[in-house]
Parts: sequence; C-alpha cells; structure tokens
Amino acid sequence: MQKTRLFIIFLALIVLATPVKTFAGFPIGKYRDIVVPSFNYYRQTDRFDGNDKVIKGPPGTSFTSYSSTLFIGYGITRRLDLIMNVPFLYQVNNLGQNGKIVDQGPGDFVGGLSYNLVNWGYTKFLSVQASAIVPLYSKINGENTALGLGDYGTEVKLMFCGSLPKLIADKGYFNTELTYRRYFDTQGPDQVSFMATVGYPVTKHNQVSVDLTFYRSYSSNKAFDPNIFTARDYAFFKPQLNVGHQFSRRASLFIGGYYVPFGLNTGVGYGGSVLFVFKL
Amino acid sequence: MRTKSYLVFFTIVFIMASAPKVWAFQQEETAETGNVTLKPVPDNKEGIFAQREKIGYALRLHNNTGEVQKGTIAYSITTDDGKKVEDDSSKFSLKSYGSKSLILKIKPKPVGFYHINFRVNLPDYDDTVRNVFGVDPQKITSQLHKPADFDAFWTRTREDLEKVVPQYRVLERKDLSTDEKRVYSVEMHSYGDIVIRGWLVVPTDGKRFPVHYRVPGYVVGLKPNMDNDDFITFDLNVRGNGNSTDVMEIGTDNYCLFNIENKDKYIYRGVYMDCLRGVDFLMSHASLGIDINKIFVEGGSQGGALALITAALDKRVKVLTLQVPLYADIHNDLLVSSSYQTQVFPFKTFRKYQEKHPAFTWDKFFATWDYYDPQNFAPMVQCPVLMGIGLLDQFCPPRCSMALFNHIGSKNKEFVCVPNSTHEVNFDYFMFQNVWLREKFRIP
Repeated sequence: MQKTRLFIIFLALIVLATPVKTFAGFPIGKYRDIVVPSFNYYRQTDRFDGNDKVIKGPPGTSFTSYSSTLFIGYGITRRLDLIMNVPFLYQVNNLGQNGKIVDQGPGDFVGGLSYNLVNWGYTKFLSVQASAIVPLYSKINGENTALGLGDYGTEVKLMFCGSLPKLIADKGYFNTELTYRRYFDTQGPDQVSFMATVGYPVTKHNQVSVDLTFYRSYSSNKAFDPNIFTARDYAFFKPQLNVGHQFSRRASLFIGGYYVPFGLNTGVGYGGSVLFVFKL
Repeated sequence: MRTKSYLVFFTIVFIMASAPKVWAFQQEETAETGNVTLKPVPDNKEGIFAQREKIGYALRLHNNTGEVQKGTIAYSITTDDGKKVEDDSSKFSLKSYGSKSLILKIKPKPVGFYHINFRVNLPDYDDTVRNVFGVDPQKITSQLHKPADFDAFWTRTREDLEKVVPQYRVLERKDLSTDEKRVYSVEMHSYGDIVIRGWLVVPTDGKRFPVHYRVPGYVVGLKPNMDNDDFITFDLNVRGNGNSTDVMEIGTDNYCLFNIENKDKYIYRGVYMDCLRGVDFLMSHASLGIDINKIFVEGGSQGGALALITAALDKRVKVLTLQVPLYADIHNDLLVSSSYQTQVFPFKTFRKYQEKHPAFTWDKFFATWDYYDPQNFAPMVQCPVLMGIGLLDQFCPPRCSMALFNHIGSKNKEFVCVPNSTHEVNFDYFMFQNVWLREKFRIP
C-alpha cells in the first residue's frame, strides 16, 4: 500500500505541478489566484480570400497589432472559479502611400465563471465556462473602432484537460476547448473555435507545448477586414509552438510563435506571445 | 480548407481517444469471473445515504456463458455488529452472454453502518458479494471512556519527555541523495531515553518548504520518501519500527501487547511521545529549510491513530490527514469485532493474549486502553483534518473511525468513504488529499 501511495502522490505531482500555459480547464483551487500578464505581437501583409487563396497585399501595406493582456483567475470553491481578462491594444494599419492609422486602448473585457463538472481521479477534468464580453471603449459616431466590434457578447466554453493518457506518454498534459461566442449585433458574428494543446516537460523546469486552433466566425457581413478584432466573417487554422520555463512553483514564463497557414477572408498572419504565469 | 478539416478531425479524435481511456480504467477495476457476475453499485458513489433516504443499488448482472442462466438473487442486511435487519430475494433469468441491471430500493435506515450481502444462486453456481453502506455517519456518536486523570497522565508523560535531552544527530546520506533531493538520516533520544530514527528528505529546488511528517503503520519500517517535490518529507520510525529496531525490537506479534497490563509502561506511551519528539525535531531544524509554520502530519492504520494523537497533543502541527485509523473507539471496536466469523487484527491479537492470560479481563484491558484510545484525544484536535476510510475495513470498522472523526474538535474537517476498500483507501482519495493539502497550505 505504501508503494502504491507514493506512486499516486508522484503521479499527482506530475499532473498538478506541471505549469500550464494560461488558465486552461484545470480548476484553480479554492482560495488561490492565478495572474497571467501576456504580451502579443501579430502582423500580416497578405491575406486569404474566400477560397483559401493567398492575395498579395499592396506594396507597403500591413497590419500590426501589439497587445498586452491581463488574465486573473480566482478559485471561489474547489470547482468554481472566477475569471477575468482585460486586453490593451496598440494597432497600426499601414495603408502604404495613404499613411497609417493607429488605434490604441483597452479592448473587450471578458469575465465569467468556470465550473468543473466532473473529474476522473483528479487527473482529467471536464469544465464549463460562461463569460460576458464587455467592450471597454466606445463606438465613434456609431461606427466601430479598431479596438473591437463595440458590441456586448457572451461566450460559453467546454473544456476537457488533464494528464496525457499513459498510452501516449508517461508525463505531460493536454487541454481542449470548444468555444461558442456570440456578439449582440444584427451582423453577429457567431464564432466557434476549437483549441487543443499538448504540453510535454522536457526537463524538470522546461517544457514544450503545441496549440492547434481552428476558428470560424460567421456573419452576414462578408467584408474583408485585416484587423482580427473587428473582422466578422472569416476562418483560420493556427498552430503555435511554445516553450515554457518554470522559475519556481509560483512563476513560469512561456514564449510562443505562430503562423496562419490556412484561412478564409483573413490575414496571412504570424506573431508571437510572451506569457508570465503567477500562481498566488 | 480540406487540410484544415483533417487537422480538426485529428484533434477531435485525440479528445475522444482520451475519454474512453478513463472509462476503460474504471472497467478494469471490476473485472470478475464466474458463470454470472454481479456488481452492486450504490446510488451514492461513496455508499453513504441520508437518514430519510431510500438505500439504492443498481445490481448489474452479466451472464458469462453461452447458456441461459436462471436463478435467484438475494440480499441480506445486518448491522455492523451482526444483528439481522432484513433480507429478500427475487428470481432472474439471463440470456446467453446477456446483461441485466436490477434496481434495488431499501427502506431508509437509522444512523450507522450496515453490511449488505448479495447472493447469486444458480443450480450449479453460487456467489456472494459483500458490501457496506452508511447512513448519516457524521451523526454517529460514541461514549468517551476517558479516565478522570487522563489529562494529568499525558501532561505528566509530556513533562517526562521534555526532561529527555534530544541529542539530535543529522547525518547527510550522500549515498541516498540525488541531484534533486538531499537525504538525511536523523536520530534523537525520546521518552525513556530510547533512541529513535527517521528520514528527512529535502528538495534542493527551493529554500523553504512545508513538511509532510509521516508516522508509521503497525511495525512498518518507513523509508526515505523521495517522491514529493513540494514538501520536505520526514518519515519517523517510532521505537520498534524500521531503522529504530536495533534499540528495541518487539516484532509484529507482540508489539501491541508489550506491557499491556501496565498503563504506565505500555508500549504506546513511548510511541505517542516519539511522535511528539519528531515535531520537536522539526521545530528545531528550520535551518534545513523547514517551514515550521506548515507542518502536516499523516498516517494510515496505526499511523492514522499516531497522526491524530500528534495533532491533538501538539498544536505546532497545522494540518492532519489520516486513513483507516487503528484502535479508534476501542470499546465499540471490541463489540463489532466480536461479530466476525474470523478474527482479524487487532482484536485477534488481544484475544489470543487473553486466552493465554485468563486473568486479563476486558475490564483490565480497558483500564490500560482508555488512556490510549485515539478517540479520547480527538476533541483536542483543532487543525484542519481529512480522513479516509474503507467501508469493508474489518481492522478499523467504519463505525469506530467515524465515531473518532465526530469527536474531533476541529470544525474544519472532511471525510472520504471508499466503498470497495478494506483496510486501505484508493487512488482517488490520495489525489483528493493532494488537492486538499494544496488548498490548506495555499500551495500553487
């Protein structure tokens, strides 16, 4: 029994102590906090048309977004977490000879509750999250700003995560999220996304992870918009590779890069992100 | 977009592949053989029901043969001390390799634990499946048989311990250490000036850690615990255990009998004090990285009793977890064990001793044990507590463990029942304990 128990505790530590990029579907834990400041970079010069064909952008044009986001999560109970996400954006839409447009300010606030529906031996978790989307900026003369759609919205997310099945690996974790987001506007959009992450510790303090994201946004407004925060009808597939380093039990750093190899009515984008994960 | 579709399909397949793995794991636990297998599943996962609630079971029957099986399924309920409560039976038939699930609803029962035996009778095959369910166990009460001088006895004992100079010796064992853990063999003098030893394992990855202080089961030698990255682990071998046996070796058969007829010299007087000396050791070695404000004591079986007594007598312990605590509510333990067809430890050992020493009556037994029954220490426990029990446990009957639990003075206490476990708890319990500990110590 003693050996079994030691093994079990060891297993638990692998599952619970491996830092996970962002919140994922793992319960935060009662009375505990997670704070994730992140910095993101996105750039595009070319775009995909409605048939997945790459259209070269006019010379000198580009869209670049720098954003910083603060994610805060708090464990209200063992199953229920409060989550909040506040972005701040700085965007440059370079129009070539026609100059450039710069927009900056807070984006869409996302806040809500996450509830762990069921766990399997505390190694796999199925959770649901419901959030409200509140624009932290105003429309100008009824028109959207470049900081977002300017509409209230709601988001429901189903998350399944945990340690990798032994069949695949003896350590590491996965996270999958199926998300539906709806903006309250006649043009929507309705957005569905699916994200899968697999993380694997390569050493005690270092890990690599891969995110695969499929995103589809549906709207009656089919116009192309290079700004992903204000576009309405588009789709893309985005793989991202991350490396993570754990400084201590409370502090980790993740650096990632991505490229959009396929898309519909969206930019051929690439970029990267730097995340700090603080567990308090 | 065709390529994208493949990728999305791949990721969805990945999720689907993960879920059945969990289900398969659960199925493996219940694999059985026989012409007809029966798996009773209580409505409540932990096998615990409320007083006004019907006791519900799903009886899953499966025919493992290619022939039609016709027979009888019956159940009988007794109290945990063997008094008949009710029984009933019903006929069934199963097609070849067929399965059937029967729903059983039993009238609500008073507070307590009940044995329920399910029997499958076929013309050429019989099988019995034992189960235990509880009804509002947090309402179980028991009488405290606390001698009038109980507190004075233990105050005096502690004073005697304090007079013993610990003479701590801490020796780094490089042969057992790794890059990630430093292992120390520690030694100290305890009650009666007996030398006891233990193992301290300090993670190298950090400066200050909470402590997982483990006390041993019945004559179980503890080894260095190398599997915990978030705690310093301290495993103490009380007198007569593990690497402390060179000083005093009593052996399994006689350990709990050693000086049992004299409460002042009974083995557990020193054993309980050894556990407190272990706390003294931790408190005086903060320089090794020990966070002396975060000492968590744990034990299973005899270790469960020792852990509880340590937390009761020493408020420097901040968190207690115990599993299947031995000797709890020892008066009722005697009563429950008297209904067993085959005796098990510890009363098997006590009864054997009695047979050899007819003058040693139960009154004399309790004249000693009332000073040592963990239940009498329980009201003194004020820190957060987590207890796990196995409902099929005969060594530590659930009634006695819950009586102990209900006497615990702390309001911050939780228990977990594992329905199909005997003298142990299961994987889920330890995973939960890990979550629970992190919650109590705010460990990320």
